[in-house]
Amino acid sequence: MFTKSKNFDWTLFVLLLILLMMGVFAIYSASTTKIGDTYNVKNFWWKQAIFVIFVLLTLYFLFRIPFAVIDLLIVPAYIFSLLTLVVVLFLPTINGSHRWFQFGFLHFQPSEMAKLCTILMVAKIISKPYMGELSIMLRGFLVTLLPVALIIIEPDFGTTVVFCISLLAMFAAADIPFIYILLIVSPILSIITSFYLLYFIIFILLLIYLLIKYRLSWVGISIAVVINVFISLITPFIWQGLKTYQQNRILTFLDPTLDPLGAGYQIIQAKIAIGSGSILGKGFLLGTQKNMNFLPEHHTDFIFSVIGEEFGFVGSSILLLVFFMFLWRLSLAVGKLNVRERKIATAGIMAYLSFQIFINIGMNIGVVPTTGIPLPFISYGGSNLLINSLAVGMVMKYLLERGFMK
Amino acid sequence: MKTNLNPPNVFKIILAVLFLFLISSLFELQIIKGNYYHQIAERNFVRLNRIPATRGEIYDRNYKPVVINIPSLNLYLTPAKIKNVKSLMQFLQFNYGIDPAEVDSLVYNNRFRSYQDILIAENTDYDTMMRVSEDLNYYPSLNFKVETTRQYLIPNHFTGYVGRINADEYSRVKEEGYSINSSIGKTGLEKYYEVLLHGKDGNEIIQVDATGKSLNLFKNNLVQQPENGLSLVLTMDSDLQKYASSVFPGGVNGAIAVIDVKTGGILAYSSKPDFDQNMMMTKINKDDWNRISNDPNKPMLDRVIHGVYPPGSVFKALTASIGLERGVITQYSLDRPCTGGLMIGNRFFRCWSRAGHGSLSVEDALRVSCDVFFYDLSLKLNLDDFQKFVFANHLAQRTGIDLPNERQGLFPNTAWYKKHYGKYTGIIGPKVNLSIGQGEIQVSPLQICAYYAALANNGKWIRPHLLDRAIGNKTILYRDLNQKLVTQLPVSANTLRIIHEGLYKVVNAPGGTGGAARVEGADVYGKTGSAENHVGSPTHAWFVGYYVTDTPQIAVCVFMENAGHGGSSAAPIAGQIMRYYHDHIENNKTKMVAEK
Repeated sequence: MFTKSKNFDWTLFVLLLILLMMGVFAIYSASTTKIGDTYNVKNFWWKQAIFVIFVLLTLYFLFRIPFAVIDLLIVPAYIFSLLTLVVVLFLPTINGSHRWFQFGFLHFQPSEMAKLCTILMVAKIISKPYMGELSIMLRGFLVTLLPVALIIIEPDFGTTVVFCISLLAMFAAADIPFIYILLIVSPILSIITSFYLLYFIIFILLLIYLLIKYRLSWVGISIAVVINVFISLITPFIWQGLKTYQQNRILTFLDPTLDPLGAGYQIIQAKIAIGSGSILGKGFLLGTQKNMNFLPEHHTDFIFSVIGEEFGFVGSSILLLVFFMFLWRLSLAVGKLNVRERKIATAGIMAYLSFQIFINIGMNIGVVPTTGIPLPFISYGGSNLLINSLAVGMVMKYLLERGFMK
Repeated sequence: MKTNLNPPNVFKIILAVLFLFLISSLFELQIIKGNYYHQIAERNFVRLNRIPATRGEIYDRNYKPVVINIPSLNLYLTPAKIKNVKSLMQFLQFNYGIDPAEVDSLVYNNRFRSYQDILIAENTDYDTMMRVSEDLNYYPSLNFKVETTRQYLIPNHFTGYVGRINADEYSRVKEEGYSINSSIGKTGLEKYYEVLLHGKDGNEIIQVDATGKSLNLFKNNLVQQPENGLSLVLTMDSDLQKYASSVFPGGVNGAIAVIDVKTGGILAYSSKPDFDQNMMMTKINKDDWNRISNDPNKPMLDRVIHGVYPPGSVFKALTASIGLERGVITQYSLDRPCTGGLMIGNRFFRCWSRAGHGSLSVEDALRVSCDVFFYDLSLKLNLDDFQKFVFANHLAQRTGIDLPNERQGLFPNTAWYKKHYGKYTGIIGPKVNLSIGQGEIQVSPLQICAYYAALANNGKWIRPHLLDRAIGNKTILYRDLNQKLVTQLPVSANTLRIIHEGLYKVVNAPGGTGGAARVEGADVYGKTGSAENHVGSPTHAWFVGYYVTDTPQIAVCVFMENAGHGGSSAAPIAGQIMRYYHDHIENNKTKMVAEK
């Protein structure tokens, strides 16, 4: 369809198509309500179908554009996405945060675009040859910090975590030793473990052991340990200093069942819907929990609950399998690509898609906290779909053009 | 070892771990616990249920109820449970007279909220309830709920009434926890103090389990108790209110306001004709609605603050005080004698007494309400200064009473005349008219009453208000909610003394126009007014005055549309109200003091 080159990754493409089809089907079911014997269908599913066709056309053009053009566009696109993130802060809030642009019925989320642009920008900046590890990390942090700072103001905590995860994956792909990555995340682990002394001691000893094993200088080890101990010591004081409602907000984020009428309500409802699907599910369009509208917005963030309820363990496992194969294929691509910049970018893209898929499904089955992260390729939403597909398209384009510039 | 740990392999390992975790969680959820969740889902078991807060009630100053909550039987429809839409429509049309098209659109509009109850009818009467209950088996989508509704014990214009929230109001207040079935204050105090009265609805998760077993799915916090609304205690005295309403002659439109001079609290507030607000509490039928809204006497118009009228001679107290303040006249000046009128330019301005009053002091001019005295005075005033003075006395200005949509009234200045009557219009004629409260001037009865209350209170103007305090889980006083309640009128003590003297003579001296308002055992000060409005129809009758024992107590304003002369129509009614106050309230007060 797109090209006859043997380098075209048909497997990846077919997997993408399957996911997109599954998405349209799931949205059709999620936007259907049954009253008596009549079905009422909201128009989300055909909007999504139009988005899918639009996305496929966009991918076709992406494969046709010469690589040099894309390369030239990365920096302007990054700057442009930063500008949109600034502008969106001055727009009126929708559902309590400044996340969306609204054009008629179209909602556009600039942080979606910023994800892809930032990954490509980081890959471009840190892939120069003969660059020290410190310099790579510093540049990577700086480029990521700008959008992350703007998104945290919106506020959108979930998306900022996505940025951080993909940055770490890119560092890994840039051959930064894992011990450095461990050092980067160690303060976060210190904060978490600081509430349980035993875990904290185990963590610090493990850290020291690994640092010694990887032959970090004694000065470096001491600094790292002192910083971590300091953080874990002050964390309880900061926690005590917070107002009760702030503490509650954090606790509810970590354990939504503490607030069964708010955040916990959705989780519990999603669990009931998915759990009641059992092995084979209740059948297409027949989910009782869905039809009763216990879950608001089940065509977006909670679409997995509809799939789980109507197609059961078999159906949701198939979806998981397709996702797994898809991501596996992406990680294979990281190995296949030899151009450093493309390898790094692919790692970032893979990490951000994996993380979003994991977080969203985990949230639906109640094993990770609720965040407003939709399920890639399946949840309703045009800008989300376009950016995720473009990201995969970039990887496919890298694979396609492999060999010309070894 | 080292070669195996290259980045792509690490990614693969992480991927595999994450997906194993997901698939095993899914396995646990759907296969191990699948049956359990299946049962829960089949029992359709969790519901978020709203517990409506009880709306605050309204009491008078002695805690006698004015507005109370009574139980009401409301019919709800759950669209998801409809079996046969056609027969349901017929059933509702037969029993409640609801248009089938309305049911159809309700069901359509709520098709994506099909498990939410929709309110169909309120205040079902007993007979209908019995009739409908028999057939309720056939219509599982219908159910009755016992809720509360408002009962208004005194027909009046200040409490207003509540109604079901409409789309505009809902979009404005949905953040504050209102639902599509909430009721909200539509007018009057119910609207003005909505925030205090409404309270906050609670929520509960109810478990609908066939066997009555609790499944303990939630850790705790199952119920958020509602916060009930605060009740209002008014400054109003319901006995005086009822009496004032009853002495107002039938067939006349008008208004009565009684203000406590020392606090600014309103003791009685009546607009005639009135209507029964309880009519608004059920689905009002079209005939009743048309009858009320097309009535030429406009029973729904609140004439105390929403009606503005020329004040006529009751305005002369203000004209006299600006004359004294600006030094245009003094207490003793006997200016031009009244010969039954005054020629100004080429126009002859008549005094109401064709015979004329002769030379008058300002006190006597007030007593006999001589027009020529004030015509003459107004010639020496600047119109723009006049307007500023009027505004500073809170006339033709909103009083800021705690009711919505108060009207301002009008007192024009030079610019206003230029704008409306052209650049070269003369303003002397209009100014002469304004000086006796005629012409373009329009004020509300409440403004006049508050002005005279301020005169009685040594020039201290207090913003009139109905709320004394809100009580409930906390107490809020009216003065906590409002700053700047008191302002001083721009008049000196001497001026006030002269005006008081004049107003005293109006009621008590021979030849005074307000003799009918006299009260045995106390002093009444006041002023009559007969304001011309339309050529040919009788004048508006005004009387406004205040009642003084040791200190000034209350100010009373009686306004009657097209009822003739203030002295003969309005003053007797004001007199009756003050006498009632004297006999029932003032005497009780002294008795209580004596008992202590």
